[in-house]
Amino acid sequence: MFSQYKYWKPFVGPFDPCKPIRVKSYNTPPQLYMNFQPPGLQQFTPHEALMSGTLWPQLYSPYPDPHKGGKPHG
Amino acid sequence: MAKKMPPEYYQCLEEIQALDFVLVELNLYLDTHPNDFDAIQQFNETAQMSMQLKVEFEKKFHPLMNFGRSYSNYPWNIDDSPWPWQV
Repeated sequence: MFSQYKYWKPFVGPFDPCKPIRVKSYNTPPQLYMNFQPPGLQQFTPHEALMSGTLWPQLYSPYPDPHKGGKPHG
Repeated sequence: MAKKMPPEYYQCLEEIQALDFVLVELNLYLDTHPNDFDAIQQFNETAQMSMQLKVEFEKKFHPLMNFGRSYSNYPWNIDDSPWPWQV
């Protein structure tokens, strides 16, 4: 199973004027890992689909990042 | 006191909104999968359910759409509040 967010640690120099950002992340939504959507995928209920923004759990990509304080909705 | 809408008003609206979202998703899906029979069947069933919910909502509360897409009561109440952004 793939991860929705990938993290990396940028180089932090001793002379940086601002507070360094130790860990940065980027979003890798499910459609990157799915070539052509196959028919007959499992579906959410209408209310769940409305809350999570997609009809198919396999295509659900939470935003903002739940691990960085973003509260997953729905 | 301003007009207040009953709680089931919001429940019905949310149901309609959920079904319409499913219809949007299925519509976009079917654009790229024209031969998916089950999805087409689900699309038609959901569309029918959504229409029924809208008809019931309009009987109970007020018309949803203007320009002839909904019936009006007497006197004319298509332009009554709450408007969509006031709901």
